[in-house]
Amino acid sequence: MNVLIVEDEKALAQEVEIFLTNYSYKCEVCYNGKSASEKIAVNLYDFILIDLGLPDYEGLDLLREAKKTNIEAACIILTARAEVNDRITGLDLGADDYLAKPFSLLELHSRMQAITRRKFGLKHHLVELNDFSINLTDRTISYQNNIINTITKKEFDLIAYLILHKNRTLTRMQLSEHIWGSIVNNDYDSNYIDAHIKNIRKKLNVYGQPDWLETVRGLGYKIKINA
Amino acid sequence: MKLETKLTLFNTLSKLVIVILFVLLLPSVIKIINKQFIDTKLRKQKDKLLNIIKNTNKDYVYTSYTPLREEYYTLDADSTTEMLDTIRNEKRKIEGDTIQYRILSYNFMKGQQKYLLEIGKSVDTIGETTPLLQNIAFYILIGMVLLTILADQVYTNYVLRPLNLIIKTKLIGRKFPNFGSYREVKTSTSDFQYLDISIHKMVETIEQTFQKEREFISNASHEIMTPISILQSKIENMFEQEDIADELKVRLLEMQKILNRLKSITKTLLLISQIENEQFIKEDKIPVTTMLNEVYEEISIRLQDKNINCEIEVPDSWVFVHVNKFLLFNLFFNLVNNAIKYNRESGDIKIAGTPENNTFIISVIDTGIGIDAVDMPYLFDRFKKFRQSLQQDSFGLGLPIVKSIAAFHQIEMEVTSEKGTGTTFKLIFPQRLIEIT
Repeated sequence: MNVLIVEDEKALAQEVEIFLTNYSYKCEVCYNGKSASEKIAVNLYDFILIDLGLPDYEGLDLLREAKKTNIEAACIILTARAEVNDRITGLDLGADDYLAKPFSLLELHSRMQAITRRKFGLKHHLVELNDFSINLTDRTISYQNNIINTITKKEFDLIAYLILHKNRTLTRMQLSEHIWGSIVNNDYDSNYIDAHIKNIRKKLNVYGQPDWLETVRGLGYKIKINA
Repeated sequence: MKLETKLTLFNTLSKLVIVILFVLLLPSVIKIINKQFIDTKLRKQKDKLLNIIKNTNKDYVYTSYTPLREEYYTLDADSTTEMLDTIRNEKRKIEGDTIQYRILSYNFMKGQQKYLLEIGKSVDTIGETTPLLQNIAFYILIGMVLLTILADQVYTNYVLRPLNLIIKTKLIGRKFPNFGSYREVKTSTSDFQYLDISIHKMVETIEQTFQKEREFISNASHEIMTPISILQSKIENMFEQEDIADELKVRLLEMQKILNRLKSITKTLLLISQIENEQFIKEDKIPVTTMLNEVYEEISIRLQDKNINCEIEVPDSWVFVHVNKFLLFNLFFNLVNNAIKYNRESGDIKIAGTPENNTFIISVIDTGIGIDAVDMPYLFDRFKKFRQSLQQDSFGLGLPIVKSIAAFHQIEMEVTSEKGTGTTFKLIFPQRLIEIT
C-alpha cells in the first residue's frame, strides 16, 4: 500500500514513516504543500495523510486536490487545530478520517486498517486463536462455534486492538488511550486496563485457556499469533 | 433601598417637618405681625392727632370712642411728672363695660401744661382676623408643599432615569464577562455619563484580559501539541524496536505516562478554552437515561474496581434537547468519576432526577469523604488540589471542565457536602434543556 505523508514537522513525518514502513506500507514524505500537490497530481496513493497546518498551503485545498486526482485514495487529516469546524469541513470534503494531534501511531494504523476493511468489504475478517475465533467485522468472539456473549464492547475493543497489532507489546498507556481517548478526563490512571484484562481472562476461562493473551511484565499486554 | 425611594422619602419627610413647624408657629407669628401692624397704626394716629392739636387752639380735653367701643381717644391734662411714650395692653372701663385695649400712652407739653394722649384699640378687634389669616396661610402652605413634592418627584424621576437604565441594562442580569457591545445611555448628567463610560471601560478591559487569556491558552495548547506528538511517536517507535532491553522499556513506559499526563492537561485546557469561546454546537437530542447509561458503561470498570454501587434514578421520559452530547457526556463522566475517586470502598453513588419549580434537577450523590468547608470556594478553580485529593491521580481540572460545560449550557450547579458522609452535586437544568416525552 502506498502512503503519502504530508507533514511540515520533519521529526513527526519521519516517525510516521518509520512506523508505517515497519507495518509494510510504502511511504513517501512531503514537508510542504507545494511538493505534495505535485506528487498528488502525478502518483496514485492508497492513503494520503494530510496535516492541515501547512505553512505554504491551505490543507483543505490539498484535500480537495487529492480527492480530485486520487479518487481511490483514503485521506486522513492530521491536525493540531482541534477546532470543531475544521473537523466538519474536513469530513464534508471527503476526508475518510480525522486524527487530532497528538495521536498515537497505533491509533493511526488502526484507523487505516478500518478504512481498508471498509474499502475491500472484508465480510468475515476472522482470526483464529486456538479454539477461539474472533470476527473483527461482526465484533464477536466464539469458542468452537459457540458465540461468547459475555464480552462487553470495551473488552472487545481491547482484544481487537491487540489483534490488530499482533505479536507486539502494547503498553497500558497505549491501550487506555485507545479505549478512553475521546473522553476528556481528569486523571491519567491506566491501571483500569489490568482490571479489563482480568475480566476478559475470567470470562474466556469458562470456555478455554486464552494462552494467546500474554502479560508482558511491567509493560502491558500482547496477543501472540503464529502465522 | 433605592436612591429614588430614599430621595422621595427625604423630600416628603422634610416637607412634613416644615408644615408641622409652620402650623405650630403660625398663631404666634400672626400675633406678632398683628401687634406690630396695630402698633404702627397707633403711632400714625398719634402723629396725626398731635398735628391737629398743634394747629388748633381749642380746649385740649377730649374723649371720644366709636359706638361699638372698638377704638377710643382721650386727651387730658396730666399732673404726673413722668413722660410716657408706651404701647401696652390695659383694661379700661367704658360706660360700665371693662374692655381689654391695646393702648398707646403719650405725654407731651403744650405751653406750661403737660398733657396725656391715649389711643386704644380693642384687643378683640385685633384678634378677629387671626383665624382667617391662619387658615389662608395654612392652605397656601399645604398647596405649595404638595406642589413641590410633586415637582421634586417628577424631577428626581427624570434625573435618575439614566442611572436606573445603567443599573437595569448594564449591571443586573448581565453574565460576567459577556457584556456585548457598548450602548450609550443618553443623559445630560455628566456624573452618569462618567459612570456609564467607566463601567464600559472596566468591562472592556476585563473582557479583553479574558479574551487574551483564552487566546493564550488556546494558542499555547496548540503549540504544545506538536512537540508532544513528536515525542509520543518517537517513544512508540522505540517500543517497536526488538533490540531495546526490557528494563529500558519500563523506563520508556514511565516517559509515556508522563507525556500522557502533559497531553491530558493540554487537551483539557484546550477543551475549556474551546467551550469558553463557544466553539461547540448545542443541537443534540438524547434521552437522559441513555446518556447516563453510556457514562455508566464507560465507567463501570472503575465502579467495579472499588466495589461501588451506582444507581440511576432518572425518569425515562426525560430527554436532553439543545445540548452538546459530547460535552454533557464529559460533564457526567467527570462528576461520576469524582464520586468514585473520593468514595470509600464499597460505597454508593446515586444519580437522581427530580422536577422542581419549572426546572429539572439531576443530582450526583456519593457516600465519599466529603469536602472541607474551607475548600468549597476553590472547588472549581483550575489546578487547585486539596489535601484530601493529593493521594489521588489527578491534576485538578475535572471540576473546571464540569463548570465550563455547565456554564456553556446555562446549567446551574449547587454543591453540598458533609465531611465523612458524602457530597452532592446538584445540576439545575432550565426547562428548555429537558423535554418530557
